[in-house]
Amino acid sequence: MSSTGEKTEIGRRDFLGVSAIVAGAIAMLSVVAGALRLTKSNVYYEQSQKFKIGRPENFPAGTKVKLDEKKVFIFSENSGLYAISSICTHLGCIVSQTDSGFLCPCHGSRYDGIGNVVGGPAPRALPWLEISLHEDGNLVVDASKEVKSGTMFLI
Amino acid sequence: MQSRFYASLLLISALILLAFVSYAGLRELNPEWKTYQKEYKRLFFNNAVTPDMKKKAAEYTVGIRQIYIKDLNRVDRCDNCHVGVENPLMAKEKVPYRQHSGTYLKDHPVTKFGCTICHLGQGNATNKKEAHAEGHDTYWDYPILPLKHIQSSCTQCHNMDFLSKHGADVIIEGEKLFNEKGCKGCHKLSGNGGVLGKALDGVGSQPIHYFPMRYVEGERTQPSWLKQHFEDPRKVVPESVMKVKLTPEEADKLTTYILSIRTYDPPKIYRRINEEPIVAKDGHALYNMYCVACHEDGKLSAFDENLKGTIPAIENPAFLMNADDRFIEMVVKEGRKGTPMTSWQLSSAGLTDEEIKKIVSYVALQRGHESSKPVSVNLKTGDKDAGKEIFNVRCALCHGEKGQGGLGLNLANQIIKKADDQYLFKTIRDGRATTPMPPFGSTGLGLTDQQIVNVISYIKAF
Repeated sequence: MSSTGEKTEIGRRDFLGVSAIVAGAIAMLSVVAGALRLTKSNVYYEQSQKFKIGRPENFPAGTKVKLDEKKVFIFSENSGLYAISSICTHLGCIVSQTDSGFLCPCHGSRYDGIGNVVGGPAPRALPWLEISLHEDGNLVVDASKEVKSGTMFLI
Repeated sequence: MQSRFYASLLLISALILLAFVSYAGLRELNPEWKTYQKEYKRLFFNNAVTPDMKKKAAEYTVGIRQIYIKDLNRVDRCDNCHVGVENPLMAKEKVPYRQHSGTYLKDHPVTKFGCTICHLGQGNATNKKEAHAEGHDTYWDYPILPLKHIQSSCTQCHNMDFLSKHGADVIIEGEKLFNEKGCKGCHKLSGNGGVLGKALDGVGSQPIHYFPMRYVEGERTQPSWLKQHFEDPRKVVPESVMKVKLTPEEADKLTTYILSIRTYDPPKIYRRINEEPIVAKDGHALYNMYCVACHEDGKLSAFDENLKGTIPAIENPAFLMNADDRFIEMVVKEGRKGTPMTSWQLSSAGLTDEEIKKIVSYVALQRGHESSKPVSVNLKTGDKDAGKEIFNVRCALCHGEKGQGGLGLNLANQIIKKADDQYLFKTIRDGRATTPMPPFGSTGLGLTDQQIVNVISYIKAF
């Protein structure tokens, strides 16, 4: 790689200098890349959005539960389980369940049985949340992951 | 020539820098936990039987995770290495992949409790050394709690009654030892107990630097300190006057109990403590709790090397024959100044009058039926100077020239001043059987009644 062959214009001394600068530049770039990496957190000081709701056998078909603390409704039907967020998409109040669906007490947003808006100021349907099965046999709801309305979790 | 020298210098330093940066980068990209998680994924996939589980294992993503629990103010990252704690498929693997033992996690879900609330250690750490905080060079406040003492964490939320019904045998036996070895005779806890030793409130939460580790063998942690202290008090604290020595098994149990005495209470929603009915203790239990550490069974009067004094045999019939309950009660209440015997009344060591009465009646059980005949003692006829002469010849050898005590008891204190004259007279005249105190009366070493009265006058004037 030194000044062999025809390319004699790069002298031995130049080669030393050039490689030194290149090595230095790579090192500095890595440091900058490492520093930039620090700007993104691996984890945050916040409660996990995933939570366990119990074993599938606790949710026989026909079950309707409201988990106040977790702000979610869990429904179980013959076709499967689904979780609907109870946070109103308008301003974040907690909706309550009515015969025909959900009603927000704050500004009267009304939703049907599967969370679609039927009246009031709500801009969009109540989100359906992802349900999965943990290795230990408990169902897990991930409030940070929305799924398409109508996605059933099959036990 | 010179420019070549500088170019080489630049190249070498650039290469050194590059080497450091690469090393740092590699270390950052391959932390300890990543190795464990990769291995967990492999084991999970191998152990999975159903296609669903295989799929779950295949979907497992290696990455940093944590359990954040706001109510407990804890961030636990233990599950970065202990990945399989909630996975039944990992029941037979070795630590750290293994599933958590027992059914504890069923009632204490990891997402609600985390790990360090029971196991201690540094939850925030992401490598084993700092997380477990073991080893002399880490020196974190709370190293991981050895599993044999794990029951000390249960009392944060459960009371003893509940624990005794749910198999927490170690801490139950530890509490029993605590009550029966007389720990509170010298150590205050929750407002009552003696003053010779340190108060024990919150001792289980005290960080490691509260414990002088100089003489501790092996792991220098709170549990090691406590255990070795119980096995041989003076090995760990050379100036200790503690009498009790326990077997290694007993020491382990007591250590578990002591570690459960913590200051930090978890929030109410976590606690399952019901008000326990306070069971009034009988005289025997109270004697075991407060007196037994020094007086043992009360039968033998012996000089104690560490306390530098003789511990009186308070259940000696010869003593009880002459001392009435009123006198014993007064001694217990007021203590004996100048000796390790502390004042046990409510304002000092915290015993109620009722408790003291129970202890006195328990001690008095040993009193025989025969009571000594009353004698008439008139101190007014006593001659202090004559008494002094006799005292210096006959008594000072054991009781000290100023009555300060030595082999014999300390006589220069309020209790002797307040003591019944008859009691002192009979004690000097008849001596105290089973102790080195001989009878000095006319049938013994030949003091006349008048001489004894002279001596009492002198003693009372100390």
